Amino acid sequence: MTDLNLNFEPNILTFCCNWCSYAGADLAGVSRLQYPTNNRIVRVMCSSRIEPTFILEAFKEGADGVLITGCHIGDCHYIEGNEHTDERMKDMVNALERMGLGERLHLEWVSAAEGKKFQETMINFVDKIKALGPSPLEHKRVE
Amino acid sequence: MVKVGDMLVGYATDENVRSRGASGGLVTAVLAAALEKGLVENVVVMKHINEFEAVPIVTDNVEEVLASTGSLHSVPVNLAKYAMGRKVAMPAKPCDAQAVIEQGKRGMIDLDNTYVVGLNCGGSMHPVTTKKMLVEMYDIDPEDVVGEEIEKGKLIFKTKNGEEKAIAIDELEEAGFGRRESCRFCTLKIPVNADLACGNWGVIGDMAGNATFCQVMNEKGVKLLENAIEAGRIEVQPASEKAIAIRAKVNSVMEDLGSTLEKEIFPDIPDEERMQYYMEQMEDCIDCGACKEVCPVCACGEDSKCTMFHSLVDNYKMSMYHMVRLLHLSDSCIACGQCSDVCPSDIPITLLQSRFSIPSQRRRNYQPGINLDTPPFFEVILK
Repeated sequence: MTDLNLNFEPNILTFCCNWCSYAGADLAGVSRLQYPTNNRIVRVMCSSRIEPTFILEAFKEGADGVLITGCHIGDCHYIEGNEHTDERMKDMVNALERMGLGERLHLEWVSAAEGKKFQETMINFVDKIKALGPSPLEHKRVE
Repeated sequence: MVKVGDMLVGYATDENVRSRGASGGLVTAVLAAALEKGLVENVVVMKHINEFEAVPIVTDNVEEVLASTGSLHSVPVNLAKYAMGRKVAMPAKPCDAQAVIEQGKRGMIDLDNTYVVGLNCGGSMHPVTTKKMLVEMYDIDPEDVVGEEIEKGKLIFKTKNGEEKAIAIDELEEAGFGRRESCRFCTLKIPVNADLACGNWGVIGDMAGNATFCQVMNEKGVKLLENAIEAGRIEVQPASEKAIAIRAKVNSVMEDLGSTLEKEIFPDIPDEERMQYYMEQMEDCIDCGACKEVCPVCACGEDSKCTMFHSLVDNYKMSMYHMVRLLHLSDSCIACGQCSDVCPSDIPITLLQSRFSIPSQRRRNYQPGINLDTPPFFEVILK
């Protein structure tokens, strides 16, 4: 089992908001900060655009983890979008916990200046998912 | 005159209604009076076919209302959807009343024009299970049954020739019969969310069996009762201290039973097996959509987010339709059990749904369908 986990490369879907975290990811890139290549970034205009079905669909299509990033509270380009995100994700994590997927969803605020934080978040999240192993839904498909 | 918060014992003045009613016929008389006096345009009632079959009808005929008298424990239909867009009065179990309020919060039912006469409910039964139970446990022919009652933790059936047979509910439920699963863990037994809370708990002495205990919950309840008294259809008198105490005691016994059973009905599933559990439960789903059709708190209409995923292409692994519904209803699910009842594949959807909705409702200290003070919690309120 441990061997399998060592070789396991998770698929991670990352949602970045256009104004802060996507710029943060950009900064990580231009600063040549290294982070794992497991993630696929989807840019959305605001983190509050991410609705529960996006996350469910991601898990259903085989994502092992979903990372959601947005502006810090108070910094939202749309004034209060990320507060909606925060509220929504609390419920989402709770619901996913019921399905045994709670650990696989993570919400992090990353500003445009935090390239370093983006890198660290990515490294930590990939490590966490590697430790958890493949998603139960993914497992089903391999069979 | 009647005031909000009054505890009364009453009965129908019409001897025929009184004797045929489960306990005094007060509810039937109140509904009939509301229709007669023009308080409402229609009344939603269950039309008897037999003891195990009834159809909900929306009627403006007083005779039909009067004919509907008598209790039915084996026809668990939620009436909330029949009140939509109408000016109606309706009898309601606590879960019907909850559904009416949840729909009211979502603007689907005009609560000012909907009069809800609540009925105490110790639980209802699925007709098919009941028939089977009558043969196997009671040794009674289902055709002979003329009435049933749940009292002091016992399920009592009355037969044509006047016999009564009681078996403890615990015993029945151990054998796999008895109340529906959603009723077992329900803890709302007195419809405090309705306009009138009626029932036979707390009717004592010579009144027992032919009078109804009635608590007036709000202004609409006052209107209903005063209207019925004016019409000369009912007579009421204040309930004694003892009666009130007995009613409260019955209620607390039933509530305790509900919370004890909840732990049994929802055993903890280890984290890593949860996904497997849902997938196994859902794999029989044939995407018929009956669970949405029948859901009394679903207010989205024909085209909604869940039906968007109503195709087999989307559901090759696990039904997105159900996942969306599990999430979406977690702020409004009242665990009425309708979805499990109608499921052609016998998926226990109510239990799956409750695994989602109960924790998230508790976390927010939210009980659906109790009053209008708490908006749906997905309606995020930001200052």
